[in-house]
Amino acid sequence: MKKHYFVTFMLILAMFSNVFGQQRTITGTVTAQDDGLPLPGANVIIPGTQVGTVTDIDGTFSLDVPEATAQLEFSFIGMNTLLVSIVGMNSVSVILETASMAMTEVVVTALGISREKKSLGYAITEVSGDEVNTVKEQNVVNSLAGKVSGVVLTQSSSGPGSGTRVIIRGNNSLTGNNQPLYVIDGVPMDNSGFGSVNGGGTGEYSRADYGTGISDLNPDDIESISVLKGPNAAALYGARAANGVILITTKKGKAREGIGVSWTSQATIENPLLLPKYQNQYGMGSLGNYPNDYADLETFKGNSGSWGGKLDGSNQMYWVEDPMGSGNPVTRPYSAQADNVKDFFQQGSSFINTIAIEGGNDLGNLRFSYTNNNTNGIVPNSYLKRNNFNIRGIVHASKKLTLDTKVTYFIQEANNRAVQGTEGIMSTLYRIPRNSAINDYKNFQNPDYSAVSHSALGSNPYWTTDHDVNNDTRNRLLGYVKANYEVTDWLSFFLRAGTDHTTQNIETINQYGHWYYGTGRFNFATYKTSETNLDFLLMFKKQFSEDFSFSANLGGNMMSQTFTSNAVRGEDFKIPTKPTTNSARELYPAYTPLREKRINSLYGQVSLGFRNFIYLDLSGRNDWSSTLPKDNWSYFYPSASLSVLLNNFIDAEGNWLDYLKVRGSYAKVGSDTGPYQLDIGYNLQQNGYLGLTTLSRPGTKMNPDLKPEQTASLEFGLEWRMLNDRFYGDFSLYSIKSTDLIMDVPVPSSTGYSRFRSNVGEITNKGFEVLVGGTPVRTANFTWDVSLNFSHNKNTLVELIEGLESYVFTTTNSGIVVVQATVENDSLGVAGGFGDIYGKTFKKTDDGRMIVDANGRPLATSEKVYMGNYQPDFVAGLSNTFMFLNGFTLNFLIDARFGGQLYSGTDASLDGSGVSERTLEYREDGIVVDGVVNTGTAEAPVYEQNTTQITGQEYWGAMSGIADNHIYDQTNIRLRELSLTYRFPSSMFDNIFIQNLTLGLVGRNLFFLYKDIDNFDPESSFSTSNFSQGVLWYNLPSTRSFGFTLNVNF
Amino acid sequence: MKTIKIILGFVFVLGLASCTKDFEEINTNPNVVTSDEASGRYFLTNPEVGLYGPTRYPYWRAQLIHSDRFAGHFTFGSHGSWWSDELGYTYSSSYTDAAWGWLAGYFGGLDNFMTLTGPEGEFENPLMYATGQIIKGLYFQMYTDIFGEIPYSQVGDPAITLPEFDTQKDIYKGIIAELNSAMTTIGDNPTTGDGVDDMGENDLYFKGDLQKWKKMANTLKLRIAIRAKGASGDDFADQAITEALTLGMFIEAGEDCTLPKDVEISQWTSAAYGDVWWNFGGYGSKWKVGQVMINYMLRNNDPRLSKYAVPSVGGEFTFKRPDQESNEDGYTHFEKRTRFLAHTINEAIDLQGGDTTNTFQYYVDSVTFNVPPDTYYIGQPTRLNGKIKSMVRFEFFSSPSDYVIQRKNEGQPIAPELIMTAGEAYFLRAQAALDGFEGDAQLLYNEGIRSAMKLWGVGDADIDAFFASGSPLTVVSAENVAIQRWMNDYTDGFEAWAVVRKTGYPTELSQGVNDINIFGYGDINGDYPTRMKYGNAAYNQNGANLGDAIARQGPDEMNTKLWFAK
Repeated sequence: MKKHYFVTFMLILAMFSNVFGQQRTITGTVTAQDDGLPLPGANVIIPGTQVGTVTDIDGTFSLDVPEATAQLEFSFIGMNTLLVSIVGMNSVSVILETASMAMTEVVVTALGISREKKSLGYAITEVSGDEVNTVKEQNVVNSLAGKVSGVVLTQSSSGPGSGTRVIIRGNNSLTGNNQPLYVIDGVPMDNSGFGSVNGGGTGEYSRADYGTGISDLNPDDIESISVLKGPNAAALYGARAANGVILITTKKGKAREGIGVSWTSQATIENPLLLPKYQNQYGMGSLGNYPNDYADLETFKGNSGSWGGKLDGSNQMYWVEDPMGSGNPVTRPYSAQADNVKDFFQQGSSFINTIAIEGGNDLGNLRFSYTNNNTNGIVPNSYLKRNNFNIRGIVHASKKLTLDTKVTYFIQEANNRAVQGTEGIMSTLYRIPRNSAINDYKNFQNPDYSAVSHSALGSNPYWTTDHDVNNDTRNRLLGYVKANYEVTDWLSFFLRAGTDHTTQNIETINQYGHWYYGTGRFNFATYKTSETNLDFLLMFKKQFSEDFSFSANLGGNMMSQTFTSNAVRGEDFKIPTKPTTNSARELYPAYTPLREKRINSLYGQVSLGFRNFIYLDLSGRNDWSSTLPKDNWSYFYPSASLSVLLNNFIDAEGNWLDYLKVRGSYAKVGSDTGPYQLDIGYNLQQNGYLGLTTLSRPGTKMNPDLKPEQTASLEFGLEWRMLNDRFYGDFSLYSIKSTDLIMDVPVPSSTGYSRFRSNVGEITNKGFEVLVGGTPVRTANFTWDVSLNFSHNKNTLVELIEGLESYVFTTTNSGIVVVQATVENDSLGVAGGFGDIYGKTFKKTDDGRMIVDANGRPLATSEKVYMGNYQPDFVAGLSNTFMFLNGFTLNFLIDARFGGQLYSGTDASLDGSGVSERTLEYREDGIVVDGVVNTGTAEAPVYEQNTTQITGQEYWGAMSGIADNHIYDQTNIRLRELSLTYRFPSSMFDNIFIQNLTLGLVGRNLFFLYKDIDNFDPESSFSTSNFSQGVLWYNLPSTRSFGFTLNVNF
Repeated sequence: MKTIKIILGFVFVLGLASCTKDFEEINTNPNVVTSDEASGRYFLTNPEVGLYGPTRYPYWRAQLIHSDRFAGHFTFGSHGSWWSDELGYTYSSSYTDAAWGWLAGYFGGLDNFMTLTGPEGEFENPLMYATGQIIKGLYFQMYTDIFGEIPYSQVGDPAITLPEFDTQKDIYKGIIAELNSAMTTIGDNPTTGDGVDDMGENDLYFKGDLQKWKKMANTLKLRIAIRAKGASGDDFADQAITEALTLGMFIEAGEDCTLPKDVEISQWTSAAYGDVWWNFGGYGSKWKVGQVMINYMLRNNDPRLSKYAVPSVGGEFTFKRPDQESNEDGYTHFEKRTRFLAHTINEAIDLQGGDTTNTFQYYVDSVTFNVPPDTYYIGQPTRLNGKIKSMVRFEFFSSPSDYVIQRKNEGQPIAPELIMTAGEAYFLRAQAALDGFEGDAQLLYNEGIRSAMKLWGVGDADIDAFFASGSPLTVVSAENVAIQRWMNDYTDGFEAWAVVRKTGYPTELSQGVNDINIFGYGDINGDYPTRMKYGNAAYNQNGANLGDAIARQGPDEMNTKLWFAK
């Protein structure tokens, strides 16, 4: 493979040195009509060839042309292309006019085909590279937040390099991956992740997020991003496109004079955006007691709450052992440590540097970039280091043959990715007693290897950052070679081979003395994934007459995905400080042999245009998937779309209306499943009881007759641009229906199984998306661009299987909250949706009086009631760009989410521990809950008014077991991005080698303009899978970052 | 021409794209075992282990947190414990769900064994199937005795995803019918076959000895019949007792059915008490032996005491009276609580002939306890509340013996799990004799005590000394049979708890608690728990049928009496 690339590069170099004869030199300048300023970067080519150049910073060019050349073609994005005669001339002066955006806007569509946007019958949103790399994110998809309507992003909060859940137009599958397909320069990029990020595990105990594939992409390499929403735009990509496609086009070298070098640098610091509000009046203890003696201290260590006496500064017993070795605890002033949680965090920092070198001429071009990313997280001892090498070369090997190749090599090392959840690091930190000094935890280990702690459970955040660690490295090589051949002027084709290999090593170590794995445990695993795509596309394009245009594409793809892993788990260390395979008394090796999934596909598309105002597209695709049974492994799905430009009838001259389009489309997509989902077989236990050979049957009843899932989508839209682009808009209305969902339906264990694999159910997503924007002010010195998008999606689970009313995603450990998909049921008034939150409420008598127990504590119901749904009702983004004073650009993005609920288990737990601010209530005087107590029996209750007073500790303890108290609305509005950049005038660099220089101040996630929940960021999540959404369990705080950027071109 | 060639080339490629030649091979999982590579007996071991030695999660939540404590064998709530001993008496859905989930989920493995060995199964073997029926009886009796009505008659049929719940009475009758069928099938067969058809070492209960299986089936039949006898509407117990006695095959001395513990296996595969006891720091996860058990043994000179427990650690401890302003309750009840603890300790020391004059000393605002180190067995009272917890010193009370809480992977013997003991078989027969069926109650009772003691390694001389001691517990009576069964069931809380609910003995447990300043009332006003609440999965997955069951049985509360105990 590598040899291939080498040959290609040699070829490029050879062509650069080619010399032509019989030439003359044409020079000239290009200026823009609008402002009369020189236009740098305009293309100048000899028509019908690839020979050309671009204008320099002063808008000038110089081009050697064959003697006979009669014309030159001048073009620039957003301007009308102009042919200029050069007969008998040695220099030209050219003025380019601004084109109406509407009529010429070209977008990248499925299969990488560039199309005029006006001809498309479905919604597509394009985001430019500048929009995602001005304020760089560690994970580039996070930059889409607020910029694309209909997209809901949920970032994992586990620190640098963590994953993000991206949902376009709602969730279509209960158990499958609802995230879009990523396609980079036409080749799909594997977005899978390891650890719990993509896993189906529902546990809230510990979730580690090792990031997903897309975070490996370097934002500086991105030219543009097209978001194809839903199946309509994406039908040609097949199964994986049912959830939409994010098409990313990377930068390539430009034909230019000399070699271009650019350097971009971003340095930012980050800090927690939001920490819980704490009380600072009461310290460690119970029922208002200080730890009077050692026994008290042990008791208080047992429940480790902050339910002690008033923090009055008196000398009291403290949990730290006497440093002189007496074995007794020390005494300390009993006073508040208000910042003990905050002081644990370190200031995060991030340095991202990219250097790009490019060069090219009429024969080809080459671009090389290298990015180094050095990031320290806010948790001590956590960091991420990335190196990203990227090389892209294009060679015009002959008039007809173009070769295009790209190789990316990526290496990443992450240290100590924080584990989130009820046993994660924040659960040890957030609850430390209010009088515990964070410094006392720094000497974190007892002689018996256990953690030094205020708690009998042995929680110490520093022990965790040092001894309970998660390290991983990730190596990735991806690239492609593509040969494009123009057979005639109406027929061309390409052949392409792309591949993507990832190897990830994950080492998890729980050192000896760990509170749960007391004798130590480790897990060392290596995962390898690959995806290889071989494809071709035959492209036919013809204008039959003035009125009719026709184009057709016919393509095929062979995809192979593989997975293999090697892992060894060890427990019970012989040498406590040695987490090695030789030190473990118990070893459990595991090897997963190569697992493969193959899909072969054929697809075709026909586009018809009539008089440039009606466009009809038809497409069809047939897949053959190795994961389905023989009778069902071949499946076909079609799509159709229509676009009509009404402005031709309303304002044909374009006096005020640039463009008005109505569009409609229908598409169907089928999707398959993973490998080995049909087999019926038994599991052999590696370590059978007493060494015996033991077999067991899997809990899931397999189904050898699975069918592909079907997703059908209908979409209508309206787009306009008017007043010479000063006002534009785009409105979409869609309805998506998924049926025959492949899922493991949970069934009562009495069937002998826990789940049946079936094709069942129906999910619908209906919604709309609105984008309006424009340029309210445009003067020579000041321009204001504004755009607003918002969208709404309503998800309904119409049907599951007979008798089953819900599908549970998450049940909290305490059992008081479940997050589920509920089947629509009109007679019960159940709306039915993906992500319904049900929880226990206060137990009440039939006439509505609260029931308390004999001790006067409120009781929770056995049944759970509907409390909300985690999917937001609306998401919106408002972007403003101001350009002023010749070089300044100020951009800010406000991002909002309206509606949607979540259950904060963290808040419940902080209340139960007595550390949260609200537990100040009822501390001094207790409370007599207004309710009744049952003095009869369960069968024959007798209710009497409650008169028993309970303490604040008992009250908040009871409250933390009732879900009602910790359901929050996710509504929030925040300043997501802010940047102020200044581009130094080129006149400053006239005599030096710098061509341009831009400096900027940037900030992300700066503050909330509004939020409903007090203590946490409602958009953060401890997992990006379908499971574990809608609940907060000891997330890391999300962060606010700011810094500066530098961009220099040489 | 060239164009046509290219187009033809693509047509050829199109043909390749639809090539599916090796799809089936690609999609075959090399890691699973297919039925032609397996034998029936390999499927027996996991169901045998899973019912008595599950993984740590249910072992802790179902057995330790609920049944062993409801049985009064163990207690939580000493000063460093994560919980007060009110835990479990106050409903906590996560702990209850763990118990429900374990028992409900257990069925799949057994169902698989019975499907494979049953009629038209891939390893059809009626004799193996009969052992499956007997395990099914053990399982459903344990399961219904905890929750009451559960699905029984419609289980194991994948076509019935929403099975109806059966009444406890119908479940008992169903189990007895299946036990009868199993015993008939076994007849005089010694084993299930030869070679791989012999269950052999894969049978951890009886090493493939079918006649012992038959004895267990008959003993189980007697256990169920005795439990049902006297319940309202019982119309089968007398006949079943008579049949069992007529057959006369019972587990006898030395034939105890126990599950040997794997001393090496990971706690994530099969747990033991030692896994919970040792694998966490500090006192948080540790527990004590109950006062009622220790005191019965002390009063009656029971030689099993040193096998069950160790003397308390002892030591000197001073408790200060809390400050009135910050802790009114602690201030007010300080004397009552400390005197209660002192009384508990002194009572135990008295029973051992010790000197109690200096065990505690009152000062103006404090009390000093002084318990002689490593000398006395002292049991911890059951259901102490959270307010007394800080004075319930871990050192005051007896821990379980090393044999019970032995850590794994140390090469030391660990107490096995009890499945069906000879002691119980004799006690059941003694009870039947007391109820007027055939047999000599006193002889059977004595034989039961002897077998129960031998199970724990007590020597004949010590057993003889016990019988010679004149203890009231040497005389057979319905109460004493119940107490002996309850003592014999130590470490098998499920069965011991059922005995207390059925017989009302020991009364110290079954009467509940009635001093809210000392005890935790839970959600049941201090009543003795008579069942556990249904798991949330039952509500989520089969709500309508569960609703019907609750309508018949009574509210889904922990103090709703089950059929057998009414």
